[in-house]
Amino acid sequence: MNRMIYRYSLLALLVGLSACERKLDIDPEQSIPSEQALSTSQNIQSLLIGTYNQAGLDNLYGGFLQMLADLYGFSGEASWVGTFTQPREVYNKRIRVDNSFVSGHWIDAYQAINATNLIIDHLEVVDEAERDRVEGEAKFLRALMYFDLVRTFGAPYVAGQSNNQLGVPLSLVGILDYDGDLAVPRNTVAEGYAQVLADLDDAYNLLPESNEYYADRYSARALAARVYLQQGNYEAARDAANDVIQGSGRVLAPTYGEAFNNDANSVEDLFAFQVTNQSGTNELVVHYASQDLGGRGGDIVVEPAYLDLFDSEMDDRSDFFYESSRGLLSSKYTNQFGNIALIRLAEMYLIRAEGNARLGTAVGATPVDDINALRGRANATLKASVTLDDVLLERQLELAFEGFWIHDIKRTQGTIVIVESVGGEPTEVPIPYNDNRLTYPIPQREIDANPLLEQNPGYGT
Amino acid sequence: MMVKLRSMLAILLVFMGYVGHAQQKTITGTVYDAENQPLSGASVAVRGTNVNTLTNEAGQYSIVAATGQVLVFSYVGFQSEERTVDQSNTVNVTMAAAFSDLDEVVVVGYGTTSRAYLTGNVASVKSEDIANVPVPNFTQALQGRMSGVFVESSSGKVGEGVKVRIRGTTSVSGGNSPLYVIDGIPMTTSGTLGYSNPLTDINPNDIETFEVLKDASAAAIYGARGANGVVLITTKSGAAGRTKINASFQRGYSDPTRLKEWLNAEEYVELFLEAGENVDDREFVENRLNQYSGHSDWRTGETDTDWQDQAFNSDAGMHIVNLSATGGNEKTQFYFGGTLDKTKGILIRNDLEKISGRLNLTHHASDYFTLGANFALTRIETNRLPGDNAFSNPIQLVALAPITPVRDLNGELYDRPTTTYYNNLVDSENAQWGITSFRNISNAFGELKLSKNFKLRSEFGIDLLTQNQEQFFGSRTQSGESTDGYAASAWTRIFNYTTNNYLTYNTVVNDVHYIEAVGGMSFQKSAINYTNVTGEQFPTDDLRTIASAADITGGSSTLNDFSFLSYFARANYRFADKYLFTLSGRFDGSSRFGQNNKYGFFPAASAGWIVSGEDFFENNVMNFLKLKASYGLTGNAEIGNYDSFGLYGATSYGQEAGLSPSQIPNPDLEWEKTAQFDAGIEFGFFNNRLSGEVDYYHKATTDLLLNVPVPSTSGYLEQTQNIGEMSNKGVEVTLNGAIVQTDGFQWNSSINFARNVNRVEALGGGDILTPNSRFLNSVIVGQPIGVFYGAAYVGADPANGDALWYADEARTTTTNDHNAAARVVLGNPNPDWIAGFNNSFAYKGIDLSFLFQSVYGNQIYEGGGGYYAAAGDWFDNQSRDQLRRWQNPNDITDVPQARLGEGNGTQASSRYMSDGSYLRLKTLTIGYNFPTAWLQRLKVSSARVFLVGQNLLTFTDYKGWDPEVNTDYLGADNQSTNLYQGNDFYSAPQARTFSFGVNIGF
Repeated sequence: MNRMIYRYSLLALLVGLSACERKLDIDPEQSIPSEQALSTSQNIQSLLIGTYNQAGLDNLYGGFLQMLADLYGFSGEASWVGTFTQPREVYNKRIRVDNSFVSGHWIDAYQAINATNLIIDHLEVVDEAERDRVEGEAKFLRALMYFDLVRTFGAPYVAGQSNNQLGVPLSLVGILDYDGDLAVPRNTVAEGYAQVLADLDDAYNLLPESNEYYADRYSARALAARVYLQQGNYEAARDAANDVIQGSGRVLAPTYGEAFNNDANSVEDLFAFQVTNQSGTNELVVHYASQDLGGRGGDIVVEPAYLDLFDSEMDDRSDFFYESSRGLLSSKYTNQFGNIALIRLAEMYLIRAEGNARLGTAVGATPVDDINALRGRANATLKASVTLDDVLLERQLELAFEGFWIHDIKRTQGTIVIVESVGGEPTEVPIPYNDNRLTYPIPQREIDANPLLEQNPGYGT
Repeated sequence: MMVKLRSMLAILLVFMGYVGHAQQKTITGTVYDAENQPLSGASVAVRGTNVNTLTNEAGQYSIVAATGQVLVFSYVGFQSEERTVDQSNTVNVTMAAAFSDLDEVVVVGYGTTSRAYLTGNVASVKSEDIANVPVPNFTQALQGRMSGVFVESSSGKVGEGVKVRIRGTTSVSGGNSPLYVIDGIPMTTSGTLGYSNPLTDINPNDIETFEVLKDASAAAIYGARGANGVVLITTKSGAAGRTKINASFQRGYSDPTRLKEWLNAEEYVELFLEAGENVDDREFVENRLNQYSGHSDWRTGETDTDWQDQAFNSDAGMHIVNLSATGGNEKTQFYFGGTLDKTKGILIRNDLEKISGRLNLTHHASDYFTLGANFALTRIETNRLPGDNAFSNPIQLVALAPITPVRDLNGELYDRPTTTYYNNLVDSENAQWGITSFRNISNAFGELKLSKNFKLRSEFGIDLLTQNQEQFFGSRTQSGESTDGYAASAWTRIFNYTTNNYLTYNTVVNDVHYIEAVGGMSFQKSAINYTNVTGEQFPTDDLRTIASAADITGGSSTLNDFSFLSYFARANYRFADKYLFTLSGRFDGSSRFGQNNKYGFFPAASAGWIVSGEDFFENNVMNFLKLKASYGLTGNAEIGNYDSFGLYGATSYGQEAGLSPSQIPNPDLEWEKTAQFDAGIEFGFFNNRLSGEVDYYHKATTDLLLNVPVPSTSGYLEQTQNIGEMSNKGVEVTLNGAIVQTDGFQWNSSINFARNVNRVEALGGGDILTPNSRFLNSVIVGQPIGVFYGAAYVGADPANGDALWYADEARTTTTNDHNAAARVVLGNPNPDWIAGFNNSFAYKGIDLSFLFQSVYGNQIYEGGGGYYAAAGDWFDNQSRDQLRRWQNPNDITDVPQARLGEGNGTQASSRYMSDGSYLRLKTLTIGYNFPTAWLQRLKVSSARVFLVGQNLLTFTDYKGWDPEVNTDYLGADNQSTNLYQGNDFYSAPQARTFSFGVNIGF
């Protein structure tokens, strides 16, 4: 009897065991494996949409990137009065090698770049009807990433020189096998710009005239105009801007205010990052806005030095601020779920005007007409004539707090002046455009993880 | 492979065969204690068999045995007695109180053994040792009581993280928490909402014993999950006899153990005006002071608010009610336990209410078949707090300016812009954040005695955890102010089930060969379902559920599963009660591992020699001596459920769905392996009046599960690989002494001490893993895990007040550029040693015991230092030590010149690190048992009144709040939890509690 029970029990036990083995195969529910993700046309297109989302993260065009570019350039036109130390370091032009906003820019940009690379590598699985558009959008996004990487992590591009100074590594092939050596060296600034322009040329040729709120051919052209301007290639910048103004179908928003805080792209937007209350992020509101608007109370306060730049009291732009207990805050960021306008048509007018002014031409329009187009929209008194300085000033009036300040100083070879304690005493310190302090450090984690990377001068050993 | 193992198991079982029966007879008798009182519930067993029984209420027993067999009488707290069965049919025994635990029964995983014959390393704590310790989580009560078991509460928040490490840290990227097994069923210990701790759901009063399996021999039976040690929890069971009812009530009062000193209003104004002047911006500072002083005037010192005081409850404490009943008859025994624990935390907005009930039943259906079931249900309601880094963490109130009044002239709370930061007292009035957990841990078992030697046991257990979190932040709160309120509701259900089926065999051959073997299988599956929804735009702050939100802004649901399939076996062989051998092993498979490495095998072997059992060992002083050693392999499977896959997850842009790469594949991912060697000596002197154990161990972990940093130019930050090595070497000492044992007065004392040296032996690729910038913890080859690594702070430059760091590793030159500072190892968050010292005294009905607990040799980093110890860098109130700032040339000080907004020395460096060693009076208990004579008239069998204090005294040089700390918000994943040790970031100090209570038995 006992023996029987024992035998049957043992048998039951063993049968029970074998039934369980299949139960070790459990697949994830919220994710799919790489092979699957890269195997269908729909998935590649979803990956493209996901890349827009990545590019719109807070460290990138969700706001930090633009905000830091302004804080980096200010000589007292506006102040960082927030508590975050990372933007304050940028504002003070004393950046730690492990500043998390700076390393976040680098890391997130390369994550987006890797996604664009994977898309470009797998175009053959994309439906033919969509293939050009997908390739064009991917290349637009890749160019956008590399352009801002190379102009913040590399020393300034100087027109007419070889620009062999170190830029950023150019990673152009999607990585599938991570068992190999992943270390890559920095390419030169010249190589970085060349890659950006090559991608933008392709994007311009591949993309449709309009493409909902995704990048279209004029988004690519407008970005190219910005890149040429940064290089001091005024002719190409002027022509690209002219092409956009004449071909894109975009028009200036009726009022200055209507160019900002839009839930959907405005008639002026050449490219904007989409923000809703369920996706996307608007860090510009977080740091520029008062707390009842979803901000931290106004971390960036506009100072008299900026207001003094305006020459017309009627100028809507001189009054595009609101009072808070901390001081004057910009009205450009008051809708916490508003889109982030990255390229507005107004910038194209300014680029065309600057190009024409510098070259003494009138391609598309005269500089004074372009400037007056913007001034007229803002109800500022119109100009009878403009000099190059007027055009450059107009950029500051029109584009302040949109991420242009440091880049304009670098390309116009300007100088920033800040007050620092020197020898225990407050002292005015000039910082020229090519000072080491005005180029970001390569993030320490990258230096640690990638032995081929060389740190920028001025950041320790 | 599987088939092979199974047939081996079968052959082994068949080989063991049968042993013939001898002449049986029934023996009866009575068991008495030293005072000749009958002992009920004492165990009587026939040695080498499964035949056993318990004495009844009158201390009587009846058992069947054969002449020549040995009866073993045992009872907790008494020395075991043995009697060889002769012609007589009556055996009466008087048991003497034990001075040592050598005779105690130890639970070892799929079985039990006697401590004297144990060859592995198992530490035990009995429920009575931690009775009435006023902490909500039982692991907190274990602190300082077992050598080599490190327990640390992350802060004084109620019901949250408690870190338990057994013999150090073995993994960098995998989990380092032990496996918790309750009545044979692995418990769910993670995956809950927020920072809630699933171990809080256990009622400590329901627990009979805790056993901690520390070495490989003990833990290998848990194979791939044994490397971090195993905590076995055994709940109470009933005993035949009179029904005993016990009721207790306890009331406690709590306050913070330590506070920090902050600037008062006058000092604040002075420091910040100076900081402004030093950067030519006094006016800016004056404007800010105007803003921050609200209706009052900072120039006159009208307001001087102690914001730190606002963060704490003035009426913190607890009410604990406990009720238990045990009883039954020969066939059926039961234990019932119930508790109500209402704890109000020391921090505002933080409390916990626990209600739990447990019923454990055992029924002996026949001589062959026993079945039983344990049911436990717990409900916990907590009002919880956010992570330490949130502005709404009450402790962050210390950042507000002392010149700011708490309320305006209308009695409304001031908020920004009058307060420097969010005045989170608004949350107290305009928000709620609660979690309700229901926990059902139940199991059923059947045990079939197949023959005299064979026993088959089947267990099936479930651990069902359901949690609901409801958050509401009103229109005045930081989270809800821009959206007319914000609410979130989240539900999670964790269903974890396990079945264990195993055969036990034991026999005694020729009275000298004792053999016991166990073999079987186990399957576990856990599934986590999670759903949440968020909403905004509420019509009024009085409507707080999402039903009232006009805008539903988010929602999600996720599923996460894992499973383990395991086969295990263990064999014990004992010769002549002197030579002990154990072999054990487990073959584990898990869904978590790569297709190429689904299964792993974890064997261990150990041997012991009871030297005192030898004839040559004649020693009047030393009565017991055992030498033992073990070696074996255990694994660590505590990684993410899907770490081996290359993954793409869903995202959205605009309102369109997208995909994003999220993880690099690694199909070769496998178990982290820890080979552990243990050698120990156990001894007893003066008839065990003094006893103890000393162990040395060496744990070598290879194939370290490591999130290896990769250049982010590759699109990822890290890849989980099996690469790298880590070691832990250590010594553990436990000494127990019955120092005074007279009729009237007893004094027992015990000391435990453990030293563990952790070392990262190798990492894949780079030698250094460096983390984020605000904290200094790093992983460096040749150093313990998590060492503080970065700039070594010098102090203020006497010439100009600049903060200085060392520029070179030799610390000979200095720099005022933080980027140019040499990065060096600054300190270690891992203690050099931990110790506990427990004493108990009894005099007549009075008893007193106290436990001192100590952690020594570690450093703590104050992550908030860059804000509050920053010499007026920004407008956070500053700790008082900042008044030492540099002011004039040739000032020699460690605090640099006050400079508003310049970050003069506020960067992460050794400036914010200090010694974290402490010695603490952990628990103090004073009790009085009323004399039995008085009680009999009241029909009460026992009555006791007691006072229990927790954390009453703390001795430390730590500069922050409390040295038992580790900020909660950095532990987002295993690697962060392991790496970010010893950090304080506005973390609440521990609670100091004083309680009194009464305990009545019927």
